[in-house]
Order: sequence, then C-alpha cells, then structure tokens
Amino acid sequence: MIGYILRRLAFLPLTLMIVALATFIVLRLTGNPVDIFLDINRTPEQVAALTQRLHLDQPLPIQFLIFLRDLLHGDFGESLQFSGSAVAVVWQRVGATLQLAGAGLGLGLVVGVLGGIACAVRQDRAADVLISSIAVVGQSMPSFWLGILLIEFFALQLHWLPTSGYGDLRHLVLPAVTLAAILLPNFVLITRTAIIELMGEQFVVTGRSKGLSRARVLVTHILPNAVNPVLSFLGIQIGSLMAGSIITETIYAWPGVGRLLINSISHRDVPVVEASVFFIATMIALANLMVDVLQMLIDPRVHRA
Amino acid sequence: MQRRPLLVLAALLAFSGRSLAADKTLTIGAAVFPDSLRSGTSSYASLSLLEQTNDPLVARDNKGDLHPALATSWELVNPTTMRFHLRQGVKFSDGADFTAADVVFTIDHAMDPKSAYAFVSRIGLVEAATAIDPYTVDIKTKTVFPTLLRGLSDIIIEPKHHYEKVGADAVAGHPIGTGPFIFQEWVPGDHYTLTANKTYWGGAPKFDKLVIRTIPDGATRVASLIAGESQIIEEVPIDLIEQVNQSDSAKVDEVSTTVGLVLTFDPTIKPFDNPKIREAFDYAINKPLILQQILKGQGEVLQGQVLTKGVLGWNPDLQARPYDPQKAKKMLQDAGYDFNTPVPITTQNGKYVSDTDICNAVAGMLNQIGVKATVNIVEGGVFQQMSNAQKLGALYMIGWYSVGDADFASVWYTKAGYRTKWQDPEYEKLFVAARSTNDLAEREKDYHRMMDILFEQNPSLFLFGLPSLYGVSKDITGFGAAADKLLRLTQVDMK
Repeated sequence: MIGYILRRLAFLPLTLMIVALATFIVLRLTGNPVDIFLDINRTPEQVAALTQRLHLDQPLPIQFLIFLRDLLHGDFGESLQFSGSAVAVVWQRVGATLQLAGAGLGLGLVVGVLGGIACAVRQDRAADVLISSIAVVGQSMPSFWLGILLIEFFALQLHWLPTSGYGDLRHLVLPAVTLAAILLPNFVLITRTAIIELMGEQFVVTGRSKGLSRARVLVTHILPNAVNPVLSFLGIQIGSLMAGSIITETIYAWPGVGRLLINSISHRDVPVVEASVFFIATMIALANLMVDVLQMLIDPRVHRA
Repeated sequence: MQRRPLLVLAALLAFSGRSLAADKTLTIGAAVFPDSLRSGTSSYASLSLLEQTNDPLVARDNKGDLHPALATSWELVNPTTMRFHLRQGVKFSDGADFTAADVVFTIDHAMDPKSAYAFVSRIGLVEAATAIDPYTVDIKTKTVFPTLLRGLSDIIIEPKHHYEKVGADAVAGHPIGTGPFIFQEWVPGDHYTLTANKTYWGGAPKFDKLVIRTIPDGATRVASLIAGESQIIEEVPIDLIEQVNQSDSAKVDEVSTTVGLVLTFDPTIKPFDNPKIREAFDYAINKPLILQQILKGQGEVLQGQVLTKGVLGWNPDLQARPYDPQKAKKMLQDAGYDFNTPVPITTQNGKYVSDTDICNAVAGMLNQIGVKATVNIVEGGVFQQMSNAQKLGALYMIGWYSVGDADFASVWYTKAGYRTKWQDPEYEKLFVAARSTNDLAEREKDYHRMMDILFEQNPSLFLFGLPSLYGVSKDITGFGAAADKLLRLTQVDMK
C-alpha cells in the first residue's frame, strides 16, 4: 500500500514534467510572447529587455533547459504584469480557488449521490423520472447561463445573496452552486446506475430474503459497493471541475487561479501561465492519487488488479 | 446537532441585510482591472486607478479638454522648452511636500528604459526636465513638440522620496500621491479600497471611502448595479442598456470615446491596391443601419476619417459616403474586380464593442453585392502577432484612439507607425509638418488635409466612433461618463 503510493508519487514529477513541456511549447507556438505582451508603443529597448528576460534569444531546447532548471528551484520567473514572482501571484489566488472548488465539489457530490440514491430507490417512479430529468437538463445547461439565472433570481429578485465578489459565506453560495451544477447531474446518474445494477445482485436478494429491511440492505450492502464507481468518476471529474471554475470565477468575479490563468493567457504573461497550469495540473494529479488510494482502502481488489 | 443547519441559515439571513455604516462608501464595478498598481503600464484601466491617488501636471476632463492640475500655469520659454509653474502647498498623503524634485524624478523615471514605462511614448520627444526652483520646472524637448501637454496628462507625478526610501516594487504595492484619494488596500484580481483625501487641493471628495471592484462579466456587472452593490459600473454591454434604464435604480450614461473603429485594407494584396475598389467597398456598407441595429444607436458614424467628432484636427467638411450598393457594384465591375476574390475580414472577439457582430454585418453587406467576404476571428495574442508581422489579410478590424489630438491617431497611417502598408508622400509630409509647429491653426489645417487624403484614398473603411457606456445609480450625482475611460470622482456625491 505504502509502496504503491510511493510508486505513484514517483511518477508525479514525470506527469508534471509532461504538462510543463506542453505548456511551454504551446505558449511559444501561439506567437512571440514579447510581441503580444508589449503594447503597440513599445520601444526596441523594451523588446530587447523582455526577450532577454524570457530567454527568448536562446534556442528553444536551451530555453526549455533553463525553464526546467528554474522549475526545479520552484521558480517560474517574475510575472510580467503583476509585481512579484509568478509563484507568489498564483499562490495569492490558490485559497479562493480551493474554497470554491471544495465547496462546489462537496455540494455536487453530496447532493448528487443523495439524488442518485433517491432515483434508484424509487426507480421508474415519479421521483426518479423527475430527478433524472432535472439531471439530464442540468447536464446540458451551460454554466454561464445558469450563473446569470441564479444571480437574477437570488440576488436581484429575492435579494438574499450578493451578485458577485469574494468575501463571507454568502458570497460563496452562488458560485459553489453553479460549479456543483456541472458535476451534480453526472453524480446523480452514475450513482443511480451503480445502485440499480447492484440491486439485482445475489447478495442483495439474499439480504432481503433473510428479512432485512430495504433500508438496511441499502445502507449495509448496496452503498458500500456503489462507492467505487462513484469515486472513479470523481477522479475523472476533477479536470472538469477546474475547467468549470474558470467560467464560474469569471461570472462571479471570484479572484481565483482560473481567472488569473485566462487573464494571463491573453496578455501572454508567460511565467504566470506556466505557474498556474502547473498548479492546476498538480491539483488534478494529487486529487486523482487520493481517489485511487481511497478506492484501494475501500476495495483492496483494486490494488491487486 | 440537528439544529445546526438552521443556525447557519439564520446567520446567513442575518447578514443579508445591508450593513448600515456611518461612512459613505462609493463602490464601482470595473470592467477591466489592472494587475498591479505599477505606474506606466500601458492600459488606461491602470491609469484610471492610479489617478485616484496621483495627479498629473496637466489633467484632462471627461470631454478631453486640458486643465491645470499640479502645474497651475505654463508657457513656452523657447520653441523647445516649456516652463511649468507648480501648485504650492500641495502635500503627498504621507505629509511630504510636493516640489519640482518630484516632477523631475517622475520624468526621469518614465524615460529610464529600465522602468519599462509604456506611456513614455506620450512624451517621446522630451529631452530632459530640470528644476529651476522648488516650484518651477523646465521641460526641454528634442524638437518642437506640440503634443507635450496632452502627453503629460497621461503621466502621473510620483513622490521621489518614497521611491528612494522603499523602491519601485514597494511603491506599486502602496502608492503615495497628491490625489483625491489615499491608498488603503489592494487585493489583486478582486478590489481596490481607498479613503478620501480630506485635504485634497482640488476639494475633498464628498464621500469617505472608495471601493473599485473588478467584475469581468458584463451581465454580472449590471446585476451588481441594479442590486445596489455598486453605484457606478463601467462598460454596460450594449444589449443590457435597456435593462439598466428600465430598472428603477439606475440609468446608462453614454459618451463618445475618441476610438475610431476601422476596417483597414492591405494594399499589397491585389486588387486592394486600387483605391477605386476600396472606395466601392465603402459604398457597400450601410453604416447608419449597423449603428442603429448593433450599436443600438450609441456612438457615431465616422465621417470619412479616422478621427471622432470634435477632436483637434477633425475635418468638419468631410461626410461618410452614403450607402449605395448599386453604385458599389458598378464601381467594382468598372474596375474589373474579380468577384471570386476571397475577402477575409480579420477581427478579434470582444476587443471592441460588438466587434465580431459588426464584421459579420459588413461581410453580409459585401456578400449582397457579390463580394466573397468572410469573417476570420482570431485570439488577441494571435492578432497581435499577425499585426506585428503585417500579415492581417485583405481587411482587418482595428480601433485607433486619439485622446483628443489628431497626432495620436494619424500616426498609424504613416510609414513610421508600422501599422498600415498604405502610404502617401503628401500625408507623410503633412504629418511631420503638423508635429513640428506649436501653431494650432497651422496644425489643424495640416490635419484637415490629411483627413481629406484618407477619405480620397480609403486606406481603411471608416466605420464608427465607439461609445463609452457607464451604468450609474440614481443615488449618484456629479458623475460624468469619460471619453478616455478614466474615473473622475471628486464631484461625485451620493444620497
């Protein structure tokens, strides 16, 4: 078990290295960052200074080696547009993103799984049809639209919540719901399917026939077995979660890494883009590792396989 | 334990009532939010924030006219030296006196290549600034430099002693100035909080606290205005003007900017070397219709020139060509135009108000006379790259701002401007002539002729002067929409 985790951790740098290389190449494929960052009124001195600062006067392989060397020191360079190092700039936004992603994921997971259970238990009855339909509709609803609807209803009509911004718990509600809405429908459907499949299994039938109540069978026999498919799905969804947070952060003016990334891409603030992508990739990789470990703890067969 | 969710809910609801503070706080929803408070970055968004704490020597008003600020008067000592008399008794927010040393320091700092001060191009012909006495500064220019004053209105005066004490990075983290507001808190990507400078030389602001929040999404910005979370918002999306005006709490305040939106030809791509063909295209575009339908009547149709109405050098004798598709088609046929020529219109999406929609409409109108026009949307960085390589294709959309003086916008049609491949020897000569005299009438005459040349030659299709749209709460008085998009808040009061 420990050995497995260590092995996985040993591969982490490789994964991140590939991500770093991809970011590095794409940033340079889409045009000279110096041309894009500097304003139309730039002087030749400014161009020369920035070219040197980003090491763009070196051949590409050398540039990448310099980039790797700095990366090993945890140094992505100074941000072009902010004052301070790229790492510090990203770090300032990490809290907001983790808060939003955590709340969104938690909400999506809890409500989604409960919804899925409700559907499975009431299979093909009104509750199931209703919840499943909402899930399907929700799945096809773009989050920017949902976001605007939520603002319109809860902030403008009811005056319950602020329209946007970062602050106390009330500010977190709408962004978290919007983000959760991206994951929630899938969690409902996955949970529903997993439980319905298990309901036909022999051990469930046995449980019922030896006189256990439906609820008891559900809690003690079905749910523990339904956890794994939901968990593997969770692992896959961490990526969509991060992608969704970019949109959500923009709608709600949430000062997180996603918005920072978008903004830095359009200015080609190379160091900040590289640092942000690296942070997001690390998050996804670690989350996936955690999911795998959890799965192993729950079902040791996963490990043996 | 079971009651806890209810308690949380109760707590949430308790907080939802608007907190009543004795202080009057003005909150502004900003569309574009700079990434740092470092001076000299190229964006007007950052100048807008910096001008809350720092004043220039000469300030623009919302219309673009110049007024004394930290300089109370100025005169030409000789054709290349301007003498500025500084306002006396002005203090920086840390209590230090503002003197000529700060002006000299600021100019030196801006001109130092190491500062990477983007707005330095505004005062590009300045040679040196020298203090004559504590309240007099001479600014010497390399040649006659008629746009010096206007250029200086983009340069905020910064405290020498503060820079020397803490260094440029720390200054960006906590700016100190002579302006109407005093730095309180800066949270990157979220908000900027300032307090009123009660001893501001130009009169203390009428409220206590200023919060400038970034709200990048247009619909959210409008929602925050209508919900009363912000009292002023920038850049109301065109399609939400109605919603703001129909709400009981706010209205839209519009002003024309000096940004002229144009579609520029690449005359090295045949057949667009032929001015007749370029002119024919101009007849094919129904500009008033696009203004009405897409820009909802906001802004103006450019009158056959890159300059917007009222700017120094704007030629009142020129008029936009009328919409006449038959004539356009006939002109193209007469010029032997090959209707199979692909005409991609390159544009960015969201760089200018309704840019893509306008390009689509133009392409549609060109299609109607048989021209094979298509719209090619590219990402901002890619556009910049194509622009630098001068490979934007047959027709591309771009906006040139003049901030009130023809010099700043007309430069883009000169060889030295590097932004259009069209060139004209007479235009070049006039541009240099207009830049080499301080005689206003002379300069105006030159610019009028230059605008004539642009109209005759059509290096671009001149489309629209773009609007600047603010949403303003009905509780606010004394706010005006600014042509240059800088926030001017000293006269603002709130109920």
